[in-house]
Amino acid sequence: MPIEITMPRLSDTMEVGTILHWHVKVGDEVSAGDLLADIETDKATMELQSFDDGCVEQLIVSEGNQVEVGTIIATLSEEGEVVSDTKEVIEVPAITQEVPAVTQKVSNTPQAAPTPTPPTGEQRTGQRVSPVARRLAEEHGIDLNSVQGSGPSGRIIKRDILQRIDTTSETTSAAQTTKVVSTDVVPSTVPVTPVNIAQPLAPTSPWQQERTEPLSNMRQIIAKRLVESKQTIPHYQVTMDFDMDPLLEMRKTLNEQLAVSGIKLSVNDFLVRCCALSMATNQEFNASFGGDCILYHGPVNVGIAIALPEERGGGLVVGTIRNADQKSLRTISQESSYLSKKARESGLAPDEMGDTTFTISNLGMFGVDNFTAIINPPNSAILAVGAAIEKPVVRNGELAVGHEMCATLSLDHRVIDGAMAAMYLQSLKELIENPASLLV
Amino acid sequence: MSVATAERVIEFRDALREAMSEEMRKDKRVFLLGEEVAEYNGAYKVSKGMLDEFGAKRVIDTPISESGFSGMAIGAAMRGLRPIVEFMSWSFSLVAADPILNNAAKMLYMSGGQFGCPIVFRGNNGAGGQLASTHSWCVESMYANIPGLKMAIPYDAYDAKGLLKTAIQDDNPVFFLESERLLSTTCHVPEEEYTVPFGQAIVRRAGTDCTIISFGRPLHFCLKAAGELAKEGIECEVVDGRTIRPLDIDSMVESVRKTNACVIVDQSWSFASIGSEIAAQIHAICFDDLDNRVYRVHSDDVPTPYAHNLEQAYLPNARKICEAVRQATYNV
Repeated sequence: MPIEITMPRLSDTMEVGTILHWHVKVGDEVSAGDLLADIETDKATMELQSFDDGCVEQLIVSEGNQVEVGTIIATLSEEGEVVSDTKEVIEVPAITQEVPAVTQKVSNTPQAAPTPTPPTGEQRTGQRVSPVARRLAEEHGIDLNSVQGSGPSGRIIKRDILQRIDTTSETTSAAQTTKVVSTDVVPSTVPVTPVNIAQPLAPTSPWQQERTEPLSNMRQIIAKRLVESKQTIPHYQVTMDFDMDPLLEMRKTLNEQLAVSGIKLSVNDFLVRCCALSMATNQEFNASFGGDCILYHGPVNVGIAIALPEERGGGLVVGTIRNADQKSLRTISQESSYLSKKARESGLAPDEMGDTTFTISNLGMFGVDNFTAIINPPNSAILAVGAAIEKPVVRNGELAVGHEMCATLSLDHRVIDGAMAAMYLQSLKELIENPASLLV
Repeated sequence: MSVATAERVIEFRDALREAMSEEMRKDKRVFLLGEEVAEYNGAYKVSKGMLDEFGAKRVIDTPISESGFSGMAIGAAMRGLRPIVEFMSWSFSLVAADPILNNAAKMLYMSGGQFGCPIVFRGNNGAGGQLASTHSWCVESMYANIPGLKMAIPYDAYDAKGLLKTAIQDDNPVFFLESERLLSTTCHVPEEEYTVPFGQAIVRRAGTDCTIISFGRPLHFCLKAAGELAKEGIECEVVDGRTIRPLDIDSMVESVRKTNACVIVDQSWSFASIGSEIAAQIHAICFDDLDNRVYRVHSDDVPTPYAHNLEQAYLPNARKICEAVRQATYNV
């Protein structure tokens, strides 16, 4: 029996993977641990190693092709096994065929943007639709591409269309209701100001030309997960300003003393520890909404959003600092630097980026003073951190110059209510403005 | 003097006899012939008492020679009489295939309209119960293939009488297919004169989810299946075609347009059958109304087994029909 190698699940959100490069060819002897292929997942490019010894019998999925997790991508023959004749790379029906790196379209007339390849890329040409389903879809103006078939082999049947019609009519009636309400509110005479639309410049350089680029795996997953988050989680935000002078003072001292050991604590490292310690008295911040329950997590795993450089395709990943409440500033700082560096250079391993229970997104280093973030499911909160800015502040009834930082929590109202959010921020403020306790 | 007879209930076999007797009283040209129809009162007692009423010139016992007496009756029909030929079983009609198919069905055409053939061939069709493969013929698919004849298959005593009277009055050869298993079934049959016209299907049970089309005895299995499926929330519409030639495809299509699913139950074998013909017509006429392909339930593609258990497994039954309906309605 040949050993089947399947597309592994390399992250907890991975559904499909792309074979970027095979490091072996048919006939190669491999041992357990040998590098077989580079696989692009939703988050990163990872190495696939062999778990077995054997001879590469078939490479079923060719480079550039994307298949679902669990699909057989190659087979190994065991020692002494006769290698079958099939030696060439077989093209299996992949989810998406290789697409040109950039699909450029230059056009002088405005045109609707071409529909990008759907994320799952089903081959619509072979779509199965029952005759009456097709007729009903036509009568109701339903795009069959948007309907998931429940019949055999995914055939779209009457039931699927009727369900769609039901959903659509609900949405439509809801929309109409909204419209009626807004008509009532809006004054009947709205002053119309003629707007001078600047003439668009003629395209002069390549970046100004209209073009379409297929989504990378990462953009697909970001799109999917954040839409899901923003649409299903009842978000709200609570903001607080923090006096940063004591913390910045302490950081300066510590960094001076730690310079010899090559350690440089960032403001974010302090925030990771503050956020983690505040969980002890605000356990809902370390919890997830579970449908009919709230899941309280044991470990406090703080995620830190890491932007990736353009040359690695951009996007962002969330690195995980596990058990952050039990780690010293030094350890947090070391782990944080390691994760950022690794994420930017070679990509994070699955255990370096999953299982977060709370996330911090910090744009302070870019001079942003405040912003809001979208919750990273299954977390129930995310902290959006701005820069510590020097500005006029009132201290003890007097105007002074000090550093203030604005941070905004986005919260899942199904788990955390406003007062709880305020208490968490107070707890955070207590730690940030009295940072000595962070050292013990 | 007439008494209130609204709920007069009689057996299928009595209904057949009433139809023949009434038509024979009205029309001196009508007569009955076949094996054991006279002195023995019919092998299945369908013609009980008819010899006494009509005499030996109009209720005629024949030798065991289907080819001979069928040919004789066809000759009589060509010369102006209106014979009713009883086959003890349609299985025995096979030896008379040449006269009934080549002569009766084609005479009007072959004679350029000079001779018609107003004749009824009637008898038991289909498995009677452990009669083995040579005596359990379902001839409907085979004979319905022939242009020039009509074919009726009654479901109950009411239709047996009404359809047989129409058959006797018809100027064309009519193949009238009864079932030994239904002869003792009873239902309300009015005493007043009535006929059931050919080519008019009837809905035996109304439903919204799946159309089941059948004829004759298997309809009883269809109705049983429909009852069971209703418990699962699948409402079947059971359509009785009543006559195969002419075929009321319009009524069948009308039902399929409503349910979008169709199962045909035909006790003959599936290959080149009534079931395949109706399926083809439905696909041709109302393809865009179908949510699934037409499913068919037939007897298994083997000679009819003798063993009781095998015979039951071979015939269309409620279990097979339920299965087909679930498939057709995506409830599997």
